[in-house]
Amino acid sequence: MLEIILQVAINGLLLGGIYALVAIGLTLIFGVVRVINFAQGEFLMIGMYAAFWLSHLLGIDPYFSFLIITPLLFLVGIMMQKVIIKPLLNAPSLALIFATFGLSIALQNGALLLWKADHRAIQTSYSNSVLLLGNLIISVPRLVIFAVAVAIVIGLFLFLQRTYWGKAMTAVAQDREAAMLMGVDIHKVYMLAFGLGIGLEALAGVLLMPVYSAYPTIGFQFCIIAFVIVVLGGMGNIFGAFLGGLIIGLVEAFSGFFISPQLQAALYYVIFVIVLVIRPQGLLGMVGAQEMGFK
Amino acid sequence: MSEGKNKTIKLLKANIYYIFIVIILCVLPLFVRNPYYAHIFIMFFSYAFLAMAWNIIGGYGGQLSLGHSIFYGLGAYTSTLLFVHFDLSPWLGMLVGGILAISISVAIGYPCFRLHGPFFAMSTLAVCEVFRILTVYFSDLTEGSIGISIPIRFGLKNMIFEHKITYLYIIIGFFSLAVLVSKLIEKSKFGYQLIALREDEDAAESSGVDVTRTKLKAIMISAFLTAMAGSFHAQYALYIDPSGEFSILLSVLMAVMAILGGVGTVFGPILGAALLVPLQEILRGQLGGQLHGLHLFIYGVLVIIVVMFLPHGIFEWLKGWILPWLNKLQILTPEMPEGERAREDLVAWGRAARDMSHEDEVILRTRDLWKSFGGLVAIRNLDVDIRRGEIIGLIGPNGAGKTTLFDLISGIIKPDSGVVEYNGSNITGIRPAHKLCHRGIGRTFQIVKPFGNITVLKNVMVGAFAREGAEEKAREEALEVLDFVGLYPKKDNLAKSLTIGDRKRVELARALATRPKLLLLDETMAGLNPKEIGEALVLIQKIREHGITVILIEHVMHAIMNLSDRVIIMHHGEKIAEGTPREVASDERVIKAYLGEEYVVI
Repeated sequence: MLEIILQVAINGLLLGGIYALVAIGLTLIFGVVRVINFAQGEFLMIGMYAAFWLSHLLGIDPYFSFLIITPLLFLVGIMMQKVIIKPLLNAPSLALIFATFGLSIALQNGALLLWKADHRAIQTSYSNSVLLLGNLIISVPRLVIFAVAVAIVIGLFLFLQRTYWGKAMTAVAQDREAAMLMGVDIHKVYMLAFGLGIGLEALAGVLLMPVYSAYPTIGFQFCIIAFVIVVLGGMGNIFGAFLGGLIIGLVEAFSGFFISPQLQAALYYVIFVIVLVIRPQGLLGMVGAQEMGFK
Repeated sequence: MSEGKNKTIKLLKANIYYIFIVIILCVLPLFVRNPYYAHIFIMFFSYAFLAMAWNIIGGYGGQLSLGHSIFYGLGAYTSTLLFVHFDLSPWLGMLVGGILAISISVAIGYPCFRLHGPFFAMSTLAVCEVFRILTVYFSDLTEGSIGISIPIRFGLKNMIFEHKITYLYIIIGFFSLAVLVSKLIEKSKFGYQLIALREDEDAAESSGVDVTRTKLKAIMISAFLTAMAGSFHAQYALYIDPSGEFSILLSVLMAVMAILGGVGTVFGPILGAALLVPLQEILRGQLGGQLHGLHLFIYGVLVIIVVMFLPHGIFEWLKGWILPWLNKLQILTPEMPEGERAREDLVAWGRAARDMSHEDEVILRTRDLWKSFGGLVAIRNLDVDIRRGEIIGLIGPNGAGKTTLFDLISGIIKPDSGVVEYNGSNITGIRPAHKLCHRGIGRTFQIVKPFGNITVLKNVMVGAFAREGAEEKAREEALEVLDFVGLYPKKDNLAKSLTIGDRKRVELARALATRPKLLLLDETMAGLNPKEIGEALVLIQKIREHGITVILIEHVMHAIMNLSDRVIIMHHGEKIAEGTPREVASDERVIKAYLGEEYVVI
């Protein structure tokens, strides 16, 4: 029994790593630009399809193709900030929500239009490879994702602490106006945040490809989970996103095992609403953070 | 007799195009012979109905729900299950579903309404997913993801008809109901208060709006209507399943149609549906087979474009160039048929407060009041006594705790300890602010909070609704107050278009319209030019003449010194001095803490 519980915990943590990776981009954009990007998941989907086609047509392995895809989507993120978000920054917050929602619908159905609703997967040599620890099984590609998530959290932390642009980002996140008065070019910071947020989301998509299959609505499904995680961990908090990801991963694994796989999702939505209502700033968030930037 | 006749004619004239529309709606189905067009019309009216239902809480109330499918699904499943298992007529099932939706809406709204903007949206979206998952899971009852097919038994009682035209008539009936409900809301106290809280919750509360109750009322009405549409659609499609009923896309579409057309208006949602439904049906019909997803792709792009170029919706934009044209044609009768107002009784709003019999009585008393935020003590051991009819100047350096004191008195925040007595009764910690507004404490805000997107008159009417129930009465009262503060000529301007001085006046008027006995003015004169300050001085004098006690926070020293009967000086949360302007101006501590040498009286 103990072994089973340990195995479930490992599965939960590895799943949590995936969720954390998916949530980091969302929380970064929210923290800095104070925009909830409902189209975030679609960039995960695009990352997955890009990895699929590069592998399918050119035979490039996802563990290499991310080198192309991530920078490309970084640029897409910058474009999105420039074309859609920036003109709407002073519009009612309703406008921003629906602009990103519209983008989400368009991208999802654009994918459906181009690539049909089929599930597309790639088989790599390592897709099913596992590490054995006694009787415990650890999936290698999932472990890779977990490691990347940890690396990104640490990397972002160092970036925010050590570099000028990182510090500028932190400053903008705390007080847009004050940062502006200190000579920070906030639109550059916003572009950087969007670029990073969306680039990382695409990276997550690429790394998911060996274990998941791509279809048009997969991004939206992950996106809703990412919202739960971001709210749970504290909006804009990168460590919070990691912690929240692990918690939701564990909740999903254990509830799937002990209650019913069908009710997994219902359970974390319920957690989500309870957290929002009881502690809207999340586990690691600042009090009042959920009010900032919105009216 | 003839007056009654005149009134009827007037009423007919004022509603001429509604009558026109009703006639069109009644006749329309007679001309729709082709079942395909009938279907498109049914979809149009259904979506318009749904968008209007959403608009009640999402548009007027500004609470962005992305989970309205919850109510739709509840309606569909309730009436269907009752029909399939107990042979209960869907007409009754629809009622049961509506009532169920109301209870669920309260259960969702009560905890979630403290969340704002996107957070409220996400929580409703999550709850909707929970409903979908549970519906799939409890497959013994709901037949899970396979869905339920409704047995075809034609008949009025079963709400199943051979011809689409019958459905069309029913949904036109629903649609008219929604228009009527929206219109009634717009003209009622409830509607004004709902719009006020959308614009600013704090200011709405201080103007006597019970924010939580108003929101709950709005979501209840909205949920009931949405559930009706769910039941109707189940009987029309004769098939329901969890992903079709508790659908995120449907929730989003309701909101998108309302937003596209123009939120918070009656016609906006209809316009949105009129644009999107034919587009959706035609694209689906023409291209659905080979190009799956195209119509939604176009949808998405359209939403982005509209939001970017017409963030206030198509209706607002159309109004810009259609209204003048309609006015020319005399189709639109002006909304407010009032002539020149009789000026002699313009002081009527003061009646309730003009009880001068207890001149010396203390109207406000605080004892040993404490409030701290984290480690910062904002109010320290504060005792003040304010007598009825006084003008009290409250001064002190920034951060002295003046606004905090106002927040404590007006019920925005709660003190840590101590007592606040008002009019002889203990009001310590009574919240939220609307309760104190009803007791006669009015206030303005340091950072002005007018309801920006509605007219000056409507701003003040929200205040008047604290005492009045009827729209006409509130309008009269508001006009009187507007005249009193000198804003009558600008009554039809949007509040956000005013200068800072006028915005402050709007706030003052709004507070006055609640007929306060005690008025708290927070830096009403900051940012005004000398002429405006002069006018404000006269105004505050006049307010006092109506028997209203005034406490004002102000940094404009000559105003304070001229106006106040007594001045209270605060520093670091404490009262450091109190007395007539002359007394405090020569007080060592006051000069040191605040005034500077300039005000020393020799």
